[in-house]
Amino acid sequence: MSDEKIIIQVDPDLEELIPGFLENRIADIAKLRASLNDKDYANIQSIGHSTKGVGGGYGFDLMSELGAEIESAAKENDADKIGEKINQLDDYLQRIEIEYA
Amino acid sequence: MPMTIKKSEPRVKVLIVDDESDVLNLLETWLTTENFDVKRALSGAEAINLVGIYNPDLVVTDLYMDGMDGMALLTELHNDDPLLPVIMLSGQAQIPDAIKAMHLGTSAFLTKPINQNEFLETVKRVTPSLINKSILNECTKNIIYKSKEMSDIIEMASLVADNDVSVFISGATGSGKEVIAKAIHEASSRRNHRFIAVNCGAIPEQLLESELFGHEKGAFTGANVKHEGLFQAANGGTILLDEIGDMPLALQVKLLRVLQDFEVRPVGSTKTYPIDVRLISATHKNLEEAVENREFREDLYYRLKVVPLEIPNLADRTDDIPLLAEHFLANYAKSNKQDNKKFSPDAMKYLAGMPWPGNVRQLMNVIDLCATLSKNKTIPLSLVKKAVHDDPIHIQTLKEAKQAFERGYLLSVLRITHGHVANAAKIAGRNRTEFYKLLNQYNIQPASFRDKKHAEKEVN
Repeated sequence: MSDEKIIIQVDPDLEELIPGFLENRIADIAKLRASLNDKDYANIQSIGHSTKGVGGGYGFDLMSELGAEIESAAKENDADKIGEKINQLDDYLQRIEIEYA
Repeated sequence: MPMTIKKSEPRVKVLIVDDESDVLNLLETWLTTENFDVKRALSGAEAINLVGIYNPDLVVTDLYMDGMDGMALLTELHNDDPLLPVIMLSGQAQIPDAIKAMHLGTSAFLTKPINQNEFLETVKRVTPSLINKSILNECTKNIIYKSKEMSDIIEMASLVADNDVSVFISGATGSGKEVIAKAIHEASSRRNHRFIAVNCGAIPEQLLESELFGHEKGAFTGANVKHEGLFQAANGGTILLDEIGDMPLALQVKLLRVLQDFEVRPVGSTKTYPIDVRLISATHKNLEEAVENREFREDLYYRLKVVPLEIPNLADRTDDIPLLAEHFLANYAKSNKQDNKKFSPDAMKYLAGMPWPGNVRQLMNVIDLCATLSKNKTIPLSLVKKAVHDDPIHIQTLKEAKQAFERGYLLSVLRITHGHVANAAKIAGRNRTEFYKLLNQYNIQPASFRDKKHAEKEVN
């Protein structure tokens, strides 16, 4: 994984919401890992579904895509793929840098 | 510089419902930036509690939520106010969900992740700050009225036109139920597809199912070709089930299933076909009484009657009679290439004071009769009295009623068999010669029911 920053442009109207929104997503990563450990695919599917639904609206399109991939991997109980996608989401969250414009 | 006084408009109230606070935060920010007043609910149950206090102009809800989901919330909201606009959001782009939601009365269905522009445009489109003038104009285009009673009906029809909610039109025979249904279709976004009106009372029970849902080849004696059925023929458009109160109970169950699943299964078929049809139903009967007498299914009744429209009797909207009379006279003159006639003032007063048990249809017949009989440009009272008295269609004789039924029956079997006379005769339980005689008697041309494909088959 690269250390390069990913610049995301976000509507200034959403500035106040972004820190809380990103905190929730970081909390989701922990929940996803715990659920994967417990093989709780229903919960993984649900978190994936929510991530897909919410990311794009805030301007994080890749977040929505990864959420959709986690949701569909959970439907197939594909633990390896879920693990891979959680890592990608985690990496994405750590590298994003917001520009309000 | 002229001074302008800007009147502050009341803000449109939007209730947003989602079990994800991040979604609520986002929608609230978008809406408040556009000057909407917003309240939020984290569940369907919380939304129901808030609606009574907040009285929103619009509800935006997620489809999939724990507890009460968006579809259940929509049904609950529309029990109290069938016209409250609801926008449904879903993480899944599933077409059956979208179609079901639209038929249950959703104003719009959007897929997550939501795009800000699309969302705000949709909110503005469905917000009922004013009745959409262009829809109202479409609705009124072919309807002649000036009475308050009809104006209320037309306003309601305009509100529901561009929304797939089920409309139930009640009113006496001849009051114009089909005219209103057609106006709703013409004012809706389905106007470029077909509008099909079916009189459930005029088609024999055994044929009605096949007429509505179609049949497979060989489904019954005489069914030698596959028949599509009117629901499939009206796909994308509107179907009016007139005299729905006459629909047999067994078929009511099947209709209910169609309305729940939005698919039809033709007679004799194991396959189902998805349909996207707006349903309008109408009857002159008191269906509540039929439900009490167990002649009509209660579940179907409530499914059909999401928005009830009750067309008043002509005698209860006498303001419209002079307008209608003049309109029918003008139509008569146009189709007979004659100069326009007019009623004398006392004749018009007499027309406006009649009880009109046969409603607009009876008025039209009387006007046609007056126009035919009058040798002068002004139609006198004496002639109007005679025409009203002689009105031949007011009550049919038994012979006329039998003939009307027989003709309707023949048309139905020919439609189902695509004009194949031998098959139609088999269904009717007559031999070909007898059947041809009947067709001649009613001047029915079987060829006009054949499409090219079937005509070729019959020749071969």
